[in-house]
Amino acid sequence: MAAPSTPNSTKDEQRVHHPSRLEQDEEPGPDLSILKEIGKKALIDSLNSVNGAKTLVLDNSIAGPLGLVTDVSLLKHHGVDKMFWLESGPLTSTTTNVVYLCRPLIRNIKIVADQIKGHARESQKHAYTLILVPRVSTLVKRILEEEGVLGEVNISSYNLQFIPLAEDVVSLENDNAFKEIWVDGDETSIYDSAQALVTLQRLFGPFPRVLGKGNFAFRLSQLLDKESTLLPTNNDPSVAPDKFDSLIILDRRVDMITPLLTQLTYEGLVDELVGIKNSYVELPQSVLAPQTGPGTQPTAGPSSSPNAPGPAGVLISRDKKKKHNLSASTDPLFEELRDLNFSAVGKKLNKVAHRLDEDYKRRHQAKTVAQLKDFVGKLGGLQTEHQSLGLHTRLSEMLVPLTRTTEFNKSLEIQQNLLASYNVANQITAIEDMIAQGAEMQIVLRLLCLASITSGGIKTKILERIKRDFLQAYGYHLLPLLLSLTAPPLCILQPNPLPAPTPYELAASKYPFASLRKSLRLLIDDIDNVEELENDISYVYSGYAPISVRLVQCVAQKGGVLSNPALDKADKPEGEPADGTVDVSSGTTKVQAHPIVGWKGFEDVLASMPGETVDFVPKGLVPTGVVNPGSIVRTSSREQAKTTAVFFLGGCTYTEIAAIRWVAKQNIGRRFLIATTGIISGRSVVERVAGVSPGSGKDASI
Amino acid sequence: MVDHPTASWDAMQDGKVFYRRQQVYNISNKLPKLDDFVVAGCKYGGPLALMRDTSKMVVIARGSAPVLSRSQIQLYSPAGESLLILSWDQGKVIKFGWTADERLVVLNEEGVYRVYDLQGDYQQYTLGGEATELGVIDAHIHDNGLVAMIGNLNLLEVKGWEGGKPLTLANPGLHEPPSSWTIIPPDFTISRHVEVLLSVDSTIYIVDNLENVDQRISRGPFTHLAASPNGKSLALLSHSGLLWVVSTDFQRSLAEFNTNEVAGVDGPIRQVQWCANDAVIVSWDGLVLLVGPFGDTLQYFYSGSSYVIPELDGVRVIGPDACDFIQKVPASTLSIFKPGSTSPSATLYDAWENFSKRSPKADESIRSIRPDLATAVDECIDAAGQEWEPKWQRRLLNAAKFGRSFLDLHNPNDFVNMGQALKVLNAVRVWDIGIPITYSQYNYTSSTHLVNRLTSRNLHLLALRISTYLSLKPDPVLKHWACVKITKSKPSATGTGRDAELQGDDEVCRSIVEKFSTLGGGSVSYADIAKKAWEVGRLDLATKLLDHEQHASDQVPLLLNMKEDRLALIKAVDSGDTDLVYHVLLHLHKRLPLGNFFRVLEDGGERLAPATRLLQVYAREQNREMLRNFYYSDDRRVESATLLLEEAAVMTDQGAKIDTIKAAQKFLSEDKDRAFEAKMVDENAKLLVLQRQLEKDAEGRIDFFGLSVNETIRTCLVNGMSKKADNVKDAFKVPDKRFWYIKLYALTSIRDFEALDAFAKSKRSPIGYETFVRHLIEKGHSKEATAFVPRCDSNRRVDLYVDCGDWRAAGKECKERGDKAKMEQLRKNCPNSLLARELDQLAAGMK
Repeated sequence: MAAPSTPNSTKDEQRVHHPSRLEQDEEPGPDLSILKEIGKKALIDSLNSVNGAKTLVLDNSIAGPLGLVTDVSLLKHHGVDKMFWLESGPLTSTTTNVVYLCRPLIRNIKIVADQIKGHARESQKHAYTLILVPRVSTLVKRILEEEGVLGEVNISSYNLQFIPLAEDVVSLENDNAFKEIWVDGDETSIYDSAQALVTLQRLFGPFPRVLGKGNFAFRLSQLLDKESTLLPTNNDPSVAPDKFDSLIILDRRVDMITPLLTQLTYEGLVDELVGIKNSYVELPQSVLAPQTGPGTQPTAGPSSSPNAPGPAGVLISRDKKKKHNLSASTDPLFEELRDLNFSAVGKKLNKVAHRLDEDYKRRHQAKTVAQLKDFVGKLGGLQTEHQSLGLHTRLSEMLVPLTRTTEFNKSLEIQQNLLASYNVANQITAIEDMIAQGAEMQIVLRLLCLASITSGGIKTKILERIKRDFLQAYGYHLLPLLLSLTAPPLCILQPNPLPAPTPYELAASKYPFASLRKSLRLLIDDIDNVEELENDISYVYSGYAPISVRLVQCVAQKGGVLSNPALDKADKPEGEPADGTVDVSSGTTKVQAHPIVGWKGFEDVLASMPGETVDFVPKGLVPTGVVNPGSIVRTSSREQAKTTAVFFLGGCTYTEIAAIRWVAKQNIGRRFLIATTGIISGRSVVERVAGVSPGSGKDASI
Repeated sequence: MVDHPTASWDAMQDGKVFYRRQQVYNISNKLPKLDDFVVAGCKYGGPLALMRDTSKMVVIARGSAPVLSRSQIQLYSPAGESLLILSWDQGKVIKFGWTADERLVVLNEEGVYRVYDLQGDYQQYTLGGEATELGVIDAHIHDNGLVAMIGNLNLLEVKGWEGGKPLTLANPGLHEPPSSWTIIPPDFTISRHVEVLLSVDSTIYIVDNLENVDQRISRGPFTHLAASPNGKSLALLSHSGLLWVVSTDFQRSLAEFNTNEVAGVDGPIRQVQWCANDAVIVSWDGLVLLVGPFGDTLQYFYSGSSYVIPELDGVRVIGPDACDFIQKVPASTLSIFKPGSTSPSATLYDAWENFSKRSPKADESIRSIRPDLATAVDECIDAAGQEWEPKWQRRLLNAAKFGRSFLDLHNPNDFVNMGQALKVLNAVRVWDIGIPITYSQYNYTSSTHLVNRLTSRNLHLLALRISTYLSLKPDPVLKHWACVKITKSKPSATGTGRDAELQGDDEVCRSIVEKFSTLGGGSVSYADIAKKAWEVGRLDLATKLLDHEQHASDQVPLLLNMKEDRLALIKAVDSGDTDLVYHVLLHLHKRLPLGNFFRVLEDGGERLAPATRLLQVYAREQNREMLRNFYYSDDRRVESATLLLEEAAVMTDQGAKIDTIKAAQKFLSEDKDRAFEAKMVDENAKLLVLQRQLEKDAEGRIDFFGLSVNETIRTCLVNGMSKKADNVKDAFKVPDKRFWYIKLYALTSIRDFEALDAFAKSKRSPIGYETFVRHLIEKGHSKEATAFVPRCDSNRRVDLYVDCGDWRAAGKECKERGDKAKMEQLRKNCPNSLLARELDQLAAGMK
């Protein structure tokens, strides 16, 4: 029990509670809500182009993202009479107009074609509109033509690009991007990403410098460079917003380790254990109730998805579930909690409870009518806070037992040991044991890949034995999954040594983990106290720093890679009291962000990693004449806070977001905008690659 | 000396409202006699289209204006200059009209329509099969689409001019053609979708794409229907000659006027049109009558038949001798020039006149309007825009300038913009350009629109100068210029043979590129120009121009047309636009024999790898047969096998599934690097066979088929087929450890503790016995778990007993081992006093 309102705790409170307040005097970062408005407006325009009442048939994968920009009432307001999921089987529509809203996937289009043909057979007459997200495609037209219904359908597009998930996160919400790029070889999402990044530049100004790592990051940067030169140059550059100082593109292959690990931040852990889908988490009624706060109503558009059982289904007792929007904008407490290491969440909740209690007690101190009035004015806020406190307490209570299972702890232990390359052979035996014990497939597979990456491959004989065990335990239908993981360009499950005539791609994809561990200071030893660890991004994995975020630091906070700021501070005589609540991010340690000078200082590290390294000034911005990246660099000053955009091609985890937020807090004069193709977790990656995601319909035999 | 502005004014409503008629052009003897022709006039000062009215006889006389042959449409500028003659070789023309961007739409009875530009080039589209079959009987063409009435009296709507699919509007339920009908364009209806008004019997139907609403009126039938430019009011002329003006929802009657009372006219009423939004024009041969809102009228006489073109701010009247513009006198002009006006602007204008006459009255006047000076200045600027004569424009602007000098702060933008606009307007109003556009129309349609109009008349230099003057991008002008240049230039200017042609191409290409770079047409699409070159058969020139194109999406389709397959594919892949790649792939797949198609991809190597992968994505879902062929021809055994495995995964028929998997195994076994995978698939096939047998043995009561090895064993155990489980274990060499876990879990789940006990005793557990205890506890069988504790490590037993909830046993265990500390701990933690006492007793017994 922390003593209420000691000087330390209030100070601590302020730090986490109002991280933005410290930066209020700075120039505001990009206003992301505009993206939401654009998305909403485009949708309304698309709907209004069809006159009268209409039946909306919605692609399941669009529903989630759509829920973030609009809600059901808006759709109803614009003439949507009934809504259906896009599923195979006949469609009964009472309205003449039928509007399909879906991604241009062959699977979807075939369903559309079948339904139209079905109507034709029953000689029902409907007017069909097919709205494709994000754009019209030749492929769709061709398939409709092959199915013989092209003439029946009006095709238009709804360009849904980045959707803001938080005040500093935008996402394309494309869950399949990783699989499409690295397994299918379908680069559509790279192109879509480039388009979306161009839109960002239109809204918030150009990226004066583009950095990146990875082959597909390189590909994206090329596209971006080409698109940027085609951008209509603003007539009056002085008026144009100029928010960015650089863009850092990381493709997921650059750091496959991070998503394989179990996320240990609050939000990350909720995603791991319960599953967060498009910012919505499906929770049992008993966790959301008794009080349903203002943020907990299922306002999420088409939320009560009939066929999207969260992965949580297996974990939590089956009582009625409801969707809840985890959003910092409606739930300030969540903003404080989401990035904490889970071990610190309990303490935090406790503190908040005490503070709330104190606040409620003020009512007794209210003597005059004015004071009372003041209190009543605050009451609404207190109640909201109270409700969200209740929710998060119950949610944490739900998570705790899940983090106490043998399986969970065993897998954590194996992860930590593998990261330290400690007794690898034993770890592999441990993984075999987990298979024997019937652990969850995705957990086993993540560990296996982790073992392969960190130790440069698993001995061929052992690997084959494990694979065999794996297939026997979870089914032979997973063989294609294993093949995908082994094949280029993914190559995250490799035998050691590689098969004799090694294809170049395989050899080149070898990951120098051992040397990176040293050069990027990935592992922080002596993890006694997690709170002390918050001195470094490694707190998010209780002692391990995600490579992806280290790379971001290589560009935007070089000092953070080389040494632990906390240790530096300890050297200073006027160090903070070492009582565990070291105020890392308060003004004393905040330093001015250094200007972007590319990968300088880390060129060798970058070169040692597989994949292309990107660093250039986009063509459109180079003044005609000599190209000299160094000379273009703008120094961000205290007056001019700049935003560094970080784009994760293939998705990022909540943990990485948390880590980047931590980096952002260390400096003044630099914000981060995290952009991604989608939020992923190890579970979702494995499931997508395996093709066992809900709705895919394959693998009914599991 | 140009007349004073008021010279053209006519008063109405007792001098409260003025209308003015200005002669825009003198066109004596330039146009043929209009009554013999069907006429369509383009809005915004656009040209006229004339076609002979075949229902009328024509006197062929010597010396008269040349008579057009029947199958021609002739275009005239408003100044009466002939622009173009279009020959019509299709079926009977039903209707022609103008689009917003000044193109002529001609629709024939077979439902075919062409969209002509002013150069005579056209696109041809059709209204579809139904229209062709039933025939088109009438149509209305508006700026951005048309509505056609077809043989069965249904209505078809076309939106835009890109050949969009016609939309059938709600069935109006007519039995005979309406006595007249009109449309309200989508921009001016509440629903933003086109509305059609049909005069049927005595009432009017309003039809849109959803419904047909009878307005329940009894004053019809009507011979003329006209909707006001803003779509809010209607002018209806009944058979009896009564003109009725009413709001579009028929709720408010606005005016009525009996046209029979008009003296001095004969013959039928030709047109009923709106003059802006507040007056209606009714025209006879020789008379144009303007009917105001209170039934007041103004009469304008012409020496012959006239044609009235409604504009948004008035009407243009094409008479036999003149092109006139009739409009309500704009407020600002009225305020300044109205006789006896004392408004600030009138005073300002007066002050300026005095000032220019060096009269001291100027100062006095200015002082008197000091507080309203800014408004007066603004009004003078606006009035300048409303004047046709440069002289009066200049005078009004001068007055404004004069007034401005007395103001401390006045935003000069309006003044400057007006000056610029007038300069442009005056330039295009000259008779040989012939675009009599008013300032309001210019504002409404935008300056780029005007530039485009000039461009489409091949007035590139003027268009370019205006673009530069208004700081607009020169690109559209340059592009048009280049296209015209290509069509006009001859492939071989000098010399003979191929060399000369090349030179000619080089020359043209160079001059185009040069012009673009010097004039800053940086974002001109070379692809469009190249397309033009290709269309006129100049392949080399097209290729050369295409090299300058930056947008792959524009390059690729043309390259495909030019059969540059490989290049098209490379450009598409480089663009990163997967849709473009699909475009090329699907196109090639259609056009080339399969073998050649594959070869293009295979020869492409690494560069075309993304395209190959996309083809696989597509084929996997849409055309597996092709994919199979592709893998086969490329010797990709693993992929072939994977394809089969994927198919097997969704198969329901057992025999087929096993066969498919065996086929996959065969592919894998051909690749020596895939021995492991081959073995696994082989196991899979074996397992399926075994499962089929198991199902047969169980007489179909238990489902085995498709389960994993683990699950198969488990299912055997759960169903009491322990022997079979052992068989499966042996057949698939399942390691002991895994087998023990499976069996432990299975037996626990069916609560067969006897068997579990026997199993535990069968040999020494490879997974230890603590696992047993833990699992049983977890599943809520603590009591049964206790039985296994004695087999665990001795130093773990106490804790395990506690976990089982058996404190007594834990206490005994402590006692046996003489562990006092542990005992003490137990006593402290135990849940109730009864147990505590027992533990105390045990502890007491310890020595």
